[in-house]
Amino acid sequence: MALTPDAPGAPGGAAPGDVTAGASGQAGTMPVAMPADSSRALTEAIVVPNSLWTSANPIAYNGGRPAEITHLREWAQTEDARRDNARWGALEVIPTKADYVLDLIRANSLWPLLSGLACCAIEMMSAATSKNDMDRWGMFPFRASPRQADVLIVAGTLTTKMSGPLLRLWEQMPEPKWCVAMGDCTVSGGRYKRSYSTVEGIDRIMPVDVYVPGCPPRPEGLIFGMMKLQQLVKDRRGHWPERMVGPNVPDGV
Amino acid sequence: MVTHSRQPSADDPRVLLDQEIGVFEPVPPYPPRTEREAEFYTLGDGEMFVNMGPQHPSTHGVLRIVLKLNGEQVVDLDPVLGYLHRGVEKICENSDYHHIVNQLDPLEYISSLFMEWPYVQAAEKLLDLEVPRRAEYIRVLSGELNRIASHALFMGWFALDLGGLTPILWSFIERDEIVEMLGALTGARMLFNYFRIGGVNGDLNHEFMSRLGSWMSRAATQIEANTKLLNENEIFVRRARGLGRMDREMALRMCVTGPNLRATGVPFDVRRAHPYSIYPELDFDVPTRTEGDSLARYLLRVDEVKQSLRIIDQCLHQMPDGPIMARIPRLIRPRPGRAYGAVESPRGQYTMYMISDGTDQPFRLRIHDPSFVHLGSVGRLVPGNLVADTMAIMASLDPVMGGVDK
Ligand code: SF4
Repeated sequence: MALTPDAPGAPGGAAPGDVTAGASGQAGTMPVAMPADSSRALTEAIVVPNSLWTSANPIAYNGGRPAEITHLREWAQTEDARRDNARWGALEVIPTKADYVLDLIRANSLWPLLSGLACCAIEMMSAATSKNDMDRWGMFPFRASPRQADVLIVAGTLTTKMSGPLLRLWEQMPEPKWCVAMGDCTVSGGRYKRSYSTVEGIDRIMPVDVYVPGCPPRPEGLIFGMMKLQQLVKDRRGHWPERMVGPNVPDGV
Repeated sequence: MVTHSRQPSADDPRVLLDQEIGVFEPVPPYPPRTEREAEFYTLGDGEMFVNMGPQHPSTHGVLRIVLKLNGEQVVDLDPVLGYLHRGVEKICENSDYHHIVNQLDPLEYISSLFMEWPYVQAAEKLLDLEVPRRAEYIRVLSGELNRIASHALFMGWFALDLGGLTPILWSFIERDEIVEMLGALTGARMLFNYFRIGGVNGDLNHEFMSRLGSWMSRAATQIEANTKLLNENEIFVRRARGLGRMDREMALRMCVTGPNLRATGVPFDVRRAHPYSIYPELDFDVPTRTEGDSLARYLLRVDEVKQSLRIIDQCLHQMPDGPIMARIPRLIRPRPGRAYGAVESPRGQYTMYMISDGTDQPFRLRIHDPSFVHLGSVGRLVPGNLVADTMAIMASLDPVMGGVDK
């Protein structure tokens, strides 16, 4: 509200129970009518008055008074926002106690990226379809875009030519993300260890959380690996700062 | 004195870590090397480039296609291969003859047996080896099962690329059933490593036969039910009809083989044209169609599945007794010479050309994969169609990227 100082009516939105105050279409009425002055409407915060419920505690929720801070942009001006010491290392996440709860949700709704590199991809698809239905453990919706995915299942041989695009996929995924190496090729190089054109294990270019060996692993094997990942997500709750961000293999190997 | 500083090679993946990840440019970073490249990478009026791949949900592997679009119409395209090049031919030159079978499997990861087959055929020609009849029957039996699994996957994928999600769930049921069965026979679900020079690795066993028996009793009706899902779907039929039409002349000029060729009306099937194994003794038809479009290619594969069921039935009835392996030494050194093996796979004619120099490793093994050839015809079929049809046309050709890049 402070962003629009010429707003009519009481600053800070309507008081609880004040349903008639916003008849002119200002923010605070519910539903928000399309105001005549549309340029202002975009910058105005939408504050929905609580007319249904009051707390038994008189000082809770500001004692029924409207909150002073109604807009994130306003909050960004304050001292609190500039005292941002919550960035840990290279991770773009803010580890809080909420992660303890959020990780439970994340573990039970892992969205893998639909990205197959070679043979193992067929078994990955087999794990997702009718017979071995991964959906039952909350790992189904295979996303076609890395920006919507949580887990990168690297299924198939990683060649040097493909390692750039794969790394790009990994970087494009939003941060709470995990990587599962499926198949011998991605675990260690497997049968292409002596080839001139493959990467001997994807842990040379990105962190790996779970390794599923086998050439190819059975779909059950992949599901077991994903269940291990769920367990790992739960075990690591609240331990974001310790998480690896780069390759696992030490220099000179 | 010259000191050689250790420069990281351009192929070293660790170099990538230091690079900044920016926009994935469709235009290559070097100046055009050929006239065709110069022409393609010059934009006309109102045209633009779109990168498709290498990670794309329906490229069946890692293939990048640079599309030149005018509005939503594809004007031209440039496939960029090599994202799955694993250097198999080179590995084969350094493996001994028995190990190569294992190395060839991942090239054709949907129907692996057909990649092993031309290799053992060529090696047997070099060794002048007589394969026991029972082994030949088992090869045909497992091969035809694998063909059905591959065609079942094709049906699901083709529908998936046209936007239908249900058929793939059904086709994976059939595919899983068959590969479990073959798993009981060969020991692996996908990369079977089953054929040997001079025979096969294991005899028919009880689990395989009981699974096969229960599957055969319902296979025909099940396949009928699955194909009904698509054949009688008006959206699917209208969309696929006339899409990516390839005529007889073009197919022959582009060296297209397999179902894609037969869909244009040429009754060429390696099993009949250059008979191998026990196919001359078996009774089956070579289905053909004349339209040459995506729908014809799909329907032709449905017909082939029915013929495969016939072949399996005959194999089971005529299966002779006897050994499953010829007597061959552990370490084989074929005479110096050249041999050629070709089989009819679900995708077309798989061919291997082998040169032996008398040692225990081949001097050269040339793998010819029809998927690569079929992908070549995409450049002729796609321009003029819409972007959404690109993947549909590609899927109807049924390429496997493992064999394209080797
Ligand atoms: S591990 Fe085996 S099945 Fe998986 S991609 Fe490598 S070769 Fe193919």
